[in-house]
Amino acid sequence: MADLTGWLDDYFFGTLVVLQVFFVALGLSVVFGLIGAAARLSQSRIANGIAKVYIVVFRGTPELLILLIFYYGIAVTLTNVARYFEPTAGFVNFPPFWAGATAIGLIVGAYMTETFRGAFQGVDPGQVEAAQALGMSRFQVFVYVRMPQMWRLALPNFGNHSLSVMKDTALISIIGVQEIMFVAEMATTVTRKPFTMYITVALIYLLITTFITISIAYLEKYANRHLRGSR
Amino acid sequence: MSFNFDLVWSSLPLIIQGLGMTLKLLFLSSLIGLFLALFILLLRISGRWYLMWPAMAYIYVFRGTPLLVQIFVIYHGLPQFDFIRESIFWPVLREPFGCAVLALSLNAGAYVSEIMRGGIIGVDKGVKEAAMALGLPRWQQFIYVTSPIAIRLALPAYSNEVVSMLKATALASTITMMEMTGVARTLVARTFAPYEIFISAALIYLALTYALQQVFAWIESHASRYVKKER
Amino acid sequence: MSEPVIMMKNVSKRFGSFTALSNINLTVNRGERLVVCGPSGSGKSTMIRCINRLEEHDAGTIIVNGHELTGNDRRIDAVRREVGMVFQSFNLFPHLTVLKNLMLAPRLVRGTDKASAEAAAMALLERVRIPEQAHKYPAQLSGGQQQRVAIARALCMNPKVMLFDEPTSALDPEMISEVLDVMVDLAREGMTMICVTHEMGFARSVADKIMFMDSGEIVESAPPDEFFGAPKSERTKMFLKQILAH
Ligand SMILES: Nc1ncnc2c1ncn2[C@@H]1O[C@H](COP(=O)(O)OP(=O)(O)OP(=O)(O)O)[C@@H](O)[C@H]1O
Ligand SMILES: [Mg+2]
Repeated sequence: MADLTGWLDDYFFGTLVVLQVFFVALGLSVVFGLIGAAARLSQSRIANGIAKVYIVVFRGTPELLILLIFYYGIAVTLTNVARYFEPTAGFVNFPPFWAGATAIGLIVGAYMTETFRGAFQGVDPGQVEAAQALGMSRFQVFVYVRMPQMWRLALPNFGNHSLSVMKDTALISIIGVQEIMFVAEMATTVTRKPFTMYITVALIYLLITTFITISIAYLEKYANRHLRGSR
Repeated sequence: MSFNFDLVWSSLPLIIQGLGMTLKLLFLSSLIGLFLALFILLLRISGRWYLMWPAMAYIYVFRGTPLLVQIFVIYHGLPQFDFIRESIFWPVLREPFGCAVLALSLNAGAYVSEIMRGGIIGVDKGVKEAAMALGLPRWQQFIYVTSPIAIRLALPAYSNEVVSMLKATALASTITMMEMTGVARTLVARTFAPYEIFISAALIYLALTYALQQVFAWIESHASRYVKKER
Repeated sequence: MSEPVIMMKNVSKRFGSFTALSNINLTVNRGERLVVCGPSGSGKSTMIRCINRLEEHDAGTIIVNGHELTGNDRRIDAVRREVGMVFQSFNLFPHLTVLKNLMLAPRLVRGTDKASAEAAAMALLERVRIPEQAHKYPAQLSGGQQQRVAIARALCMNPKVMLFDEPTSALDPEMISEVLDVMVDLAREGMTMICVTHEMGFARSVADKIMFMDSGEIVESAPPDEFFGAPKSERTKMFLKQILAH
């Protein structure tokens, strides 16, 4: 434990970075998931096809590989673009934070796509017809009838996907984001206590995932409150 | 700034050199993971708190932390302790291969045991009661009635888990293993053509994912033959 | 004739604070056929399930074939082998063919060899009139056929007594009689039976005694003529009026 004392503030700021990546990636995954679901549900065969390819590719390729493609790929592309205008330009570095968050957002977005699509289709068509029969517009039906039920149906899977986002954040140390894995590596070179340093990382992750799990359970209880019997 | 297709073709055979290692990691860790999962499952459903609690703690820790962190704790962390370096396990734990297999197996054990438990919970209560009413002892009920049905119910989730494990083998590259991602990363460092090489690797992973899914689809349809009506 | 197969003395059963059975006293002798009826939630299933200990009773004594039911697992398995049970929802083993459904328990717990287990199973399938379905899976059969397989499966163990818990209430009307016919055959052959059912025609023709339950109690118990002709309790009269109105 004594070995840790000098490093606590580094772990703290590292944890903040992890949380930042988490929230950005989670937000992006919801956006990609919604776009993907809309494409899957649309009449357009092209949109449908693109969404299907998106899902297959991002669910079938290792997360690490996608991350590397993003990080190095973007850097190489930007460098080439820069050299096109300015042949003497040096190597352009893309911020690894954004490369990482986007990659994770895209990966988990592929899973979110199916969750959102399932939730949309899970709403009883009878209710939609009932709402239309009352004269509600398509938009009103979506906002007042579908949406409130969709999020209840999507919540359990959404919880699992947010846990995936959290666990995937550990990968971004590989492209040089200075979060807790990076802190552990630094601390190890100084203290020569790798187990202490990496187990600390594990405990921090365990704490955060526990918090996410509890929050989701609470949200689920809230979302299902009207389904409980009166007794 | 052009995508070099020739480079894709020329790098494919190089990356395939890592395929053997990828498959070896996948095969070994899913096999060990399966036995581990069965063991954890038996503890988990034993109904005795002193067996259930360790199983639940195990599942909680391994599902609540990123696999990459687990790999680092095992590979970088364990040598911190003298008693490990002096133990009979050291020849295995000293090698990145042993560490990768250990981490992947431990991780799979946690996930797969929960998948199995899901299958068992899904078995119709009435069918179990019928076996009970015939006077089969508990272990025979479990082996001849509950398990075969539970396995069928758990297969789809298990097939997803094996695909996840295939993707997880890529993380072994972070501890110097030369599986496909590891090979791809060295090639990129040499040629600096990240798109071409990483995408070639991704294509092989996608093909493997597809093959795994086909195999499991076949097993599933075989295992569910009794669910379908004739005609 | 008056050799008791099942005896329940002051049996009570609670689910939490809810009393599902209170002070049940009951004797079923060898060869006797008891029909149990009563409104939903009155405790019929709970009572019948206590007899093979799918539910554990809280108080009182249950004696089956001379064995008192206690927490001893081995003894319970032995008792269960002598007691056949047929469920409302069939509960056939979905992963086994009809024939294998019948052969499983005799082979595992009686150690019967394959050939004789198969011969016995085929003979029973003849008896329930579906030998041609032997190699199908349960999902490929109609409800009435599945229930007849379930009866045959229970009979495979040569039980001393058969328990039926609403065996026809999950069936389409046209399939009810094919199951009842098999049960009537069984009754004629002298099988001891306890049968929860609302099929009053069946009750009238085979029952030695009809028992009416309500709120976990036995309200009335009488031979069919008396039960239908001169019910004593108001609750029985009300119930009969409702059920015979259909
Ligand atoms: N496992 C249980 N936990 C709690 N309450 C139960 C349980 N099983 C049965 N009960 C309650 O006990 C009462 C009697 O149930 P039982 O199933 O014996 O009724 P029944 O007469 O068979 O009714 P039905 O005609 O609907 O089958 C019911 O009120 C039921 O809600
Ligand atoms: Mg009942």
